Amino acid sequence: MVMKKSLQCLFWVGLLGGLLLPCQTLAAEVSFQSDTIIRGFERNTVTQTDAGVVPVYEYLQVDAGTLDEPGLAFHLYGWGRLDLADNGYFTDETAGELLYGYLEYSQAQARFNARLGRQSIFEGVANEVVDGLRLSSDLGRYFSGSVYAGQPAALAEENGRDGDSIFGGRLANHVAGYYDLGVSYKKIRSDSSDAEELAGVDLSLYLPAAVTLSGFSSYNLDSEDFAEHSYQANLKLGPVSLRPFVQFFQYDDYFGTATSPSPFSFLAGTGEELTIYGADFTLPAQEAWLLTAKAKHYDYEVLDDSSNFVSAQVSWSGAGLTQVGGELGYMNSDVAQIDYVLVRLFGYCDQVKEILPVDFVSGDLVYVGYDQKIYNDDSSLFVSLGVGKTYLDNSLKLKLSGDYSSDPYFDNDLRGMLTASYLFDRSL
Amino acid sequence: MMRKHIWTALTLTLLLLGLAACAALDSGLDLPLRHLSADDLGEQPTTCTNCHEARGEKLAFGNFNHTATWGQDHRQQAYQQEAVCSMCHQTSFCNDCHATRVELKPSLKNQTDTKRQMPHRGDYLTRHRIDGQVDPTSCFRCHGNPKAAQTCARCHG
Repeated sequence: MVMKKSLQCLFWVGLLGGLLLPCQTLAAEVSFQSDTIIRGFERNTVTQTDAGVVPVYEYLQVDAGTLDEPGLAFHLYGWGRLDLADNGYFTDETAGELLYGYLEYSQAQARFNARLGRQSIFEGVANEVVDGLRLSSDLGRYFSGSVYAGQPAALAEENGRDGDSIFGGRLANHVAGYYDLGVSYKKIRSDSSDAEELAGVDLSLYLPAAVTLSGFSSYNLDSEDFAEHSYQANLKLGPVSLRPFVQFFQYDDYFGTATSPSPFSFLAGTGEELTIYGADFTLPAQEAWLLTAKAKHYDYEVLDDSSNFVSAQVSWSGAGLTQVGGELGYMNSDVAQIDYVLVRLFGYCDQVKEILPVDFVSGDLVYVGYDQKIYNDDSSLFVSLGVGKTYLDNSLKLKLSGDYSSDPYFDNDLRGMLTASYLFDRSL
Repeated sequence: MMRKHIWTALTLTLLLLGLAACAALDSGLDLPLRHLSADDLGEQPTTCTNCHEARGEKLAFGNFNHTATWGQDHRQQAYQQEAVCSMCHQTSFCNDCHATRVELKPSLKNQTDTKRQMPHRGDYLTRHRIDGQVDPTSCFRCHGNPKAAQTCARCHG
């Protein structure tokens, strides 16, 4: 309850700050985007059969300040949900999350950047949302660095926030056209106890003949062994792009970083080692056509088993964003003991204004056939159709879609969704 | 314990001072804060090498081409060059897939954007039973933290 109040307080303070900030800065802009999503479908609940469920989602984004130039800016993004039917489908009638809300100062010299508030940090071994401070800068011509410290937002509901902390950073050395090399570190404490400590190294090596070798390794400092190695090469053979890759995971060290009991916790005690290798292959043809193929092999050390996935996709692109395509995939899974074949057809056309009263139409069909029955069903069929139109000089976009699913979990499931996106953008 | 905190604070302070001092030096990349938008260019700037050298003086632009498999393999570029991503994308764009906690899966929130290779298209509720056993590391990357794992907790506890 206290946390919810704090979040609400932060949200409104942030919103107020965002609205006031342009008054204090020069060449300021304010941008406001609202995405309202209304869904409708039926579900069986504890008390009702085929009860209507009508959740309304509001995604709100506010950006203010010098957005396209160095200076001071404020950014906020969050979502909230209200169940209009309120018939017990959702555990909570309302839900929501402040995804980020921070003040940012940046300057052109050395690309110095400072952020204060709730923010996503995605660099090196960090994939975190932090309530705190992050500073980054180029450090001369060949180095750059960043540091951050604060509280991890993901632990906010785990026994309160007392004793929760996170800090880390990344130091990089780069010579444009030759290589980028980074070392990173992250430590999380939960309820005053050490919860996660990772170190990592990442590398991109630009070799002759347009070959790039890149990847990273992460080391679990608690378990004192490597959690992950992921490396790939990018090659161009004439018009063909090829990306061979190899990944290696040690479950005890990879999943041993979980900061609280989770559905993945049991994996940390299995001693399993997973090796994945394969390649992506992309061939453009006649500008409009694109052929993509992928092959992945999974090898399990403890289970002494393996799985394979192969897929091929072809797509055609027309004027604007028009695209149609299809995909065929096959999973041969020894570890799950169920194989499947996946067929997907998709299309999007924004060249329909002359024949239809909408700006675009879209369609999607996904069929999956399983070699063994799951809940007495051996296939899934999903079909989605959508249309959209813009109004008010592209400030308002309405999108309507309906989808049907027949699968092991739902016999004949019909769902509808209406999205209203409104963008307000103004220089002050 | 107190001594450890003091060392941590001291190290961070030194790092901050070092950063502040070095911020006055030259920049190696010298990239702009924002890239020209699709409206400015008349096309979506998704293929960097249409205008830039694959091995440019500032950046290996060829590595940032949004190819057909970009949706599944942009992790390395984001890990190393988050500032390049932010030249075109607000964090909210990334949050469709990478967020502390969202209720709508990426392909559902963007149901009509069939041209984008969003993960979990179609009936993923059934398919995740198999994909999750084949490679749980890919699930953990997004659903590993306690808030994001709430999506899993409804069935998996």
